[in-house]
Amino acid sequence: MSTRKINAGPGSTSRPEHQRPAQNSEAGQPRFAPDALDRRPVRPSRLGYNAGMLVVGILFIAAIYGTGMDVRALLDLPASIIQYGQLMASGVFQIPEETVAGYWSQSFDAMFESVAIAWVGTMVGALFSLPLGFMAARNMSPLPVYVMVRFILSVIRAVPEIIFAIAIMLPLFGFGSGGGGALAGAMALGISSIGTLSKLISEAIEAVDGGPLESSRASGSNHLQLIRWAVLPQVMPEVIAIWLYRFEVNIRASAILGVLGAGGIGSLLSTVFGARDWDRIGIVLVVIILVTMVVDQISAFIRHRVIHGPTVRNGGGEPQEDDDDGAPSPGPVSGSHSDTSVEQDPAPKSARAAAGL
Amino acid sequence: MITFENIDVVYPNGYKGLSNVNLQINKGEFVAIVGLSGAGKSTLIRTVNGLVPFTSGTLRVGDEVVDPRSKAKLRRLRSRVGMIFQSFNLVTRVSVLNNVLVGRSAETPTWRSLLGWYRAEDKELAFQSLERVGIVDKAYMRASSLSGGQQQRVAIARVLAQDPEVILADEPVASLDPPTAHKVMRDLRRIQQELGITTIVNMHHLDLARSYADRIIGMRAGEVVFDGPVEEATDAVIEEVYQRSLTAEDIVAGDAVPGRAVPGRAVPAAKLQD
Repeated sequence: MSTRKINAGPGSTSRPEHQRPAQNSEAGQPRFAPDALDRRPVRPSRLGYNAGMLVVGILFIAAIYGTGMDVRALLDLPASIIQYGQLMASGVFQIPEETVAGYWSQSFDAMFESVAIAWVGTMVGALFSLPLGFMAARNMSPLPVYVMVRFILSVIRAVPEIIFAIAIMLPLFGFGSGGGGALAGAMALGISSIGTLSKLISEAIEAVDGGPLESSRASGSNHLQLIRWAVLPQVMPEVIAIWLYRFEVNIRASAILGVLGAGGIGSLLSTVFGARDWDRIGIVLVVIILVTMVVDQISAFIRHRVIHGPTVRNGGGEPQEDDDDGAPSPGPVSGSHSDTSVEQDPAPKSARAAAGL
Repeated sequence: MITFENIDVVYPNGYKGLSNVNLQINKGEFVAIVGLSGAGKSTLIRTVNGLVPFTSGTLRVGDEVVDPRSKAKLRRLRSRVGMIFQSFNLVTRVSVLNNVLVGRSAETPTWRSLLGWYRAEDKELAFQSLERVGIVDKAYMRASSLSGGQQQRVAIARVLAQDPEVILADEPVASLDPPTAHKVMRDLRRIQQELGITTIVNMHHLDLARSYADRIIGMRAGEVVFDGPVEEATDAVIEEVYQRSLTAEDIVAGDAVPGRAVPGRAVPAAKLQD
């Protein structure tokens, strides 16, 4: 039904257009003496807004001077971009004879190690985040548990993954590419993932439709059965999307952690950077960007598929019935009205996910 | 048999949901509860299975005294009392069969529920329930792909899978179109007659209440103000319950009462069934 509405978009303008002239002719000749309701409103004060903008500007300038930034260095920026760009491009575009081919494969190997670290970290985070998400959801757990888990999660979120890596994991598992460093990186990513993942999952759980919960309760389900059959089916697509998004974030984070000694592409980057070996730096950057973009695209495709399903569902016809009342509100421009009303069904979920992530 | 003795419900915010309700609903009876919205119909029906805890009085379902504070007792009670809802309340992302099997929750060990590994006899019962409401062919479809009427029948099948003594229905047909509403009400009536299940239905459509129920209970402001067989629930009596005259909104009409909606008369006087 809603699909039919999309097609009828341009044609459906006839009704609002019929009504508009009638409205105008009535508005043209007032039949009543003007009273307070007919007076034009006074323009509201914009003082607060303007003052806010001013404060933002002042803070910006104060921050630049306060930290002693030399803004004039920006003038040299175009020249240095060209200079270093040429250095790196000469590395990327040189004919890949044996040594250069070695650089490329070394970079790809290191990048895949970073992706693997991110994947392991995400898995660790996912494993713990689901139960913790339930404990941190107000509608699923008793108040003391809720308060305590929320507190622990906010402590975890307050510590950046870099701190986890430097202060805890690297000393525990050792430095360097392969073995200890990789495990340290994965654990640091895993633990810091738990903080955000659990919070987002708990919010998804708090937003579930209460109807199936009530019916499940009314059939005598216990708490675990209710979670399994009334809550999980509702939140699982969103949870998977949250996990995948965190995987995308973790790939970037694991590249950074590598610079600190946690293995992967970051280790390689810091090595070649230490040698100021610009053509190799160029190759490493291209590999990072390429692989990250490809993985992002795949992950985004799966996320979209999981949330919206394989085909466009013709969901929720009922909420759209309202516009049959022919509300003579100022005529919406052709078709835009029906477009928005069709989108209303999936919008809240994806919007929430977008805002949360 | 369900007995209410001086039942009061006061909500945590101080709102009085029910005041001094005394009722006796006999085994196998089909009771319709009518009243305007806010009259306490939903509260009354939800006290029976403890979804709304009553604050004073005594409530018996069968031989058992309902204790809203004991979770274990409530779960046992709810396994004997099935409930269907206005908005169907199915889990739309799982199959129809799994929705029906939720009705077996109370009889199924938790580990089996968690794995979704139900006993063969529970599945058999679920299939039989689906056959009884005539949608067994949809067993492996997602609940979301069904129409409203079909979803409500899945909800009835879920209740039947509980093998209940009592069925509670909170506005079961309010979100369905008139022909479908009649189909679902006919299903409920047939099940009540075939299996002898006590059935309590909230509704605001008077013609449906008169067509399908044995007895009508009228509520206003949390109190029972009318209680009697369908024959006694004349337009005048119901107008007294509603404290207003009847309008076209009080009937659903539709296929089961062709031509009965006489203009100028809000509610068809003759009953369909006799």
